Amino acid sequence: MLILDETAKRKPPATYAIARINASLDLNFQYDAARRTTVLAASSQEPPLKVVRAFRLGDSSALVHLHNVSGGLLGGDELAMSLVISEKAQAQVTTTGATRIYRSRADAAPAIQRINVHVGQNACLEYLPDPIIPFASSRFTQDTKIQLDAGSGLFWWEVLAPGREARDELFAYDAVEMKTRICALDNPIAIERVRVQPRLYPLSSPARLGKYRYWATFYICRVGVEPNAWLALEQQLREVARELSPAADALWGISTLLAHGIVCRCLAIHGRDALAGLHKLWRAAKFALYGTEAIPPRKVN
Amino acid sequence: MEADLICCQSPDSPIHGYLKLLHLADSALPIGALAHSFGLETLVSRGLLKVSNLEVFLRGYLEESATAEAVFCREAFRLASNGVESFSVERWRLLNLTLSAMKPARETRSGSAALGRNFLMVVSALGDFPVVRSAVEDAIQESNQNHHHVIEHSPAFGLVGGALELGEESVVVAYLHQSVASLVSACQRLLPLGQTEATRILWNLKPTMIETAKRSLSAHLDDVCCFNPLLDWAAMEHPALGTRLFIS
Repeated sequence: MLILDETAKRKPPATYAIARINASLDLNFQYDAARRTTVLAASSQEPPLKVVRAFRLGDSSALVHLHNVSGGLLGGDELAMSLVISEKAQAQVTTTGATRIYRSRADAAPAIQRINVHVGQNACLEYLPDPIIPFASSRFTQDTKIQLDAGSGLFWWEVLAPGREARDELFAYDAVEMKTRICALDNPIAIERVRVQPRLYPLSSPARLGKYRYWATFYICRVGVEPNAWLALEQQLREVARELSPAADALWGISTLLAHGIVCRCLAIHGRDALAGLHKLWRAAKFALYGTEAIPPRKVN
Repeated sequence: MEADLICCQSPDSPIHGYLKLLHLADSALPIGALAHSFGLETLVSRGLLKVSNLEVFLRGYLEESATAEAVFCREAFRLASNGVESFSVERWRLLNLTLSAMKPARETRSGSAALGRNFLMVVSALGDFPVVRSAVEDAIQESNQNHHHVIEHSPAFGLVGGALELGEESVVVAYLHQSVASLVSACQRLLPLGQTEATRILWNLKPTMIETAKRSLSAHLDDVCCFNPLLDWAAMEHPALGTRLFIS
């Protein structure tokens, strides 16, 4: 896919159309009571999406790394991912690297990623991907739907990079649309619908990003926890955020959701500040909600 | 001669509707709008919002959050415009719940909910409007059953506009105008912003308000997006400010 992107100008349109990808990845995590651990009970994988195996973490969670063996998404690609975390299971999902959104041809549809998640009763999902990097002239749509059952937990973050910074490519993409809908017990508790079009609407506006480049959002949920406990956690996380980067480098906002959770938002100049802060907030929230340590995913990069 | 024409208008005339809309969109309407800055106080206190960039900020607000609010205002207008017989309470609840879930900051949610509730209560005291009565009674009933039910300001404004048959485009634009005027008013208390400059900014933004209303006409409720991350951050951080003039 990377090769196609680099040679796209030399390829006839027909070849490009054939190269479009429509693939899905379905993962089902279950709690194995006999072994007291979570196992990846079933998986269905279509290239370029791939999971090699599940790793057992110290707290009985199962960790999987999502691979996109094509390296990224091209205009017209449609990837679908389904994550089912069955009752009492605990899963941690991360990526092997940034999600790269390659330049789209003018006539191509946006690259689309659909994610459907169901976290069963008293189960927990930690979704901790690397940033999304939209290349110049790329178009990307991500549509995420999350359903939380009674007692279930969720730690879910997304980081949007400005582009390939090393090439001084900042906000050169055409459009990024990210929609996330989180429902607890069938009621919406958070709906995020973001459409970023840097060429149409300047991101340097003081109503948008101002001088900041990275934007991150982090949902922390546990269904059934009382509103007062969330208010206390909001305050606790705000204190954690105060110890993070100075405001000149990153801003952190923490707020309770309609119910059952908290959202943290970050605007940062550098991606490293956003990621480091997300890890610290995750650790604090995991301990507050579960009384256990957050275990950072093993990464080769 | 014009005065004579106005005197001849019946109570159901368009000009009467126009006066009602002016009244409902007036910042002096006692719904508590003056107590909210919806995050502007944080932006000012952190030096991110100044008189010099206020107009640009408000333009960004209109292009994003205000567009989303306009879509919900318009949807509520249509919900109410066919009378109480076809008014769907379930749809009304869903509108409000969806808009509330789209707001990440707790204070912004509760602020908008307070304005929406107060707005319907004020209108209820002005006359018997069956759709408005139905929405208020539903809110009371839900509240009595300890169900979480909010009435957001923009749908409430649209609902009343539809119930009073005040004209869809006029209602949406009036909502946007009062919303921006309210933010400018907050800025007059937060910034060294004089009356003349405030008036000039509000005047200059009218074309953008009309564009915003047009954009909301083509946006589908399930597709409406907004990206005001600095404003969201500011509203989320408002509870942490040491000294506060505003509730939000």
